[in-house]
Amino acid sequence: MVEEKQLRTYAEINRKIESKTVSVMTAEEFKAKVAGEGLAKAAKDVDVVTTGTFGAMCSSGVMLNFGHSDPPIKMQKVWLDDIPSYTGLAAVDAYLGATELDETLNMFHGGAHVIEDLVRGKAVKLRAIAYGTDCYPKREIESWVSIKTLNQAVLFNPRNCYQNYAVATNGCSRVIYTYMGKLLPDYGNATYCSAGEISPLLNDPLFRTVGIGTRIFLGGAQGYVAWEGTQFNAKVPRSPNGTPRRSAGTLAVIGDLKKMSADYLRALTMYKYGTSLSVGIGIPIPLLDLEMAKYCSVRDADIYTAVFDYSEQKRARTPLREVNYSELKSGEIAIKGKKVPTSSLSSMYKARQISNELKKWISKGQFLLQEPIEKFDLEREFKPLDVRTKEGCK
Amino acid sequence: MKTKYLLTFPNEAAEEPITYRLVKDFDIRCNILRAHIDEKGGKMVLEMDGPADMLKKGIQFLKSKKVEVRSIEEGVRKDEDKCTQCGVCVSICPVGALILDKKTWKIVFNEEKCVVCGLCIDACPTTAMELLL
Repeated sequence: MVEEKQLRTYAEINRKIESKTVSVMTAEEFKAKVAGEGLAKAAKDVDVVTTGTFGAMCSSGVMLNFGHSDPPIKMQKVWLDDIPSYTGLAAVDAYLGATELDETLNMFHGGAHVIEDLVRGKAVKLRAIAYGTDCYPKREIESWVSIKTLNQAVLFNPRNCYQNYAVATNGCSRVIYTYMGKLLPDYGNATYCSAGEISPLLNDPLFRTVGIGTRIFLGGAQGYVAWEGTQFNAKVPRSPNGTPRRSAGTLAVIGDLKKMSADYLRALTMYKYGTSLSVGIGIPIPLLDLEMAKYCSVRDADIYTAVFDYSEQKRARTPLREVNYSELKSGEIAIKGKKVPTSSLSSMYKARQISNELKKWISKGQFLLQEPIEKFDLEREFKPLDVRTKEGCK
Repeated sequence: MKTKYLLTFPNEAAEEPITYRLVKDFDIRCNILRAHIDEKGGKMVLEMDGPADMLKKGIQFLKSKKVEVRSIEEGVRKDEDKCTQCGVCVSICPVGALILDKKTWKIVFNEEKCVVCGLCIDACPTTAMELLL
């Protein structure tokens, strides 16, 4: 364990950001500095390390408010460019989810594509039906909306930014199409989905600085961590450096879609699987003490994950092997004695761009660090869904 | 000299062993990259390798059999605006025509290596890879 001597506080860092004297480095730059000059010197010199990730994050969507029509309508069913949106809320509120498909199940056009169109400023066709009430007499409406006409367009993603993720391969004799992409037969390829050493939550593995209220880079704008993400699971095997060796923590994030950019929010179609949204997230890690600096010095070779055969159609697949991100990024790993080409579903290029952009914001005094208002419960258990009786719920 | 061609076969040429004749009579190294030909005719993507004069003669022979010949400068296109440089295509490509540049972390498409197999087309989540044939 590294000695926990405080180096700086959030207030001190923010004062330096405001006076534009803060020392901020991207995760890549910081790791190179540690390798060259040692941990103690790097920790002393650098106040904040910026991280980034850009990958498919299915559990994403936008909360929308359309404003009231005349006469008013209490929308019962809503479609945006033919994509159904959930409106079991007040009269003109709706939630459009990234993976929702149109009713012909055309996978090349889903909620994510409408979200990208909104971000790009395009007009989107709104259609709604209603049963009509005394106070909301109108029973149907067709109109056009855009990011400019909407009262609110709030990106609220219940589960993003996975802290580590599985590697997918395919041991059966046919091509399979998964949320991890197209997997060729007989271990023909393997895909992974983490930026590794520059990914946000691998630089703060035990959530010392990332919690409820943390200000983040989200889709090209400033956003916040709203809550722990769904399926949050801190109780997984860990390496001595603290990083989880399996999928672990997740974040629920929130931010103003009106301020975001299609450079960092992109609709995806995973062929024969469905649609998803690529979300760009960057998190600043304050180097409060030597321990935080140590966490931020972690390298790909020391971050492990497991390879699973996605043709195994069950909840708990058996890991084929463990592998580190240095091996994954080399482009080839061995599975059952076979050399298997690897590639990433998350963009390292964009992740690097995001960590650089966030660094720029902080250096220019445009982005202040927010200490978590509350920390996550790392003891919470991640539970499966079993077919159980009513009594089984007690 | 190695060049890729898109050959369009009329129905009357569909049953002749045309690639065999290219090899046998003109000493052209033929590599069939894609083919879909039935009794009604069809299309083939063929890479031909040989001296320029023999290739010319081979093409004349194809034309005499009413096979339409078009050289392919590009069979697959990568749309840089749509591409997010994720790299999912890299491990799908069987000939290493799509690679991750480890300095820039961009995905580089090497058209010369591409055999127009089309495996990357539906693997790309942002529809950035387009088959032009």
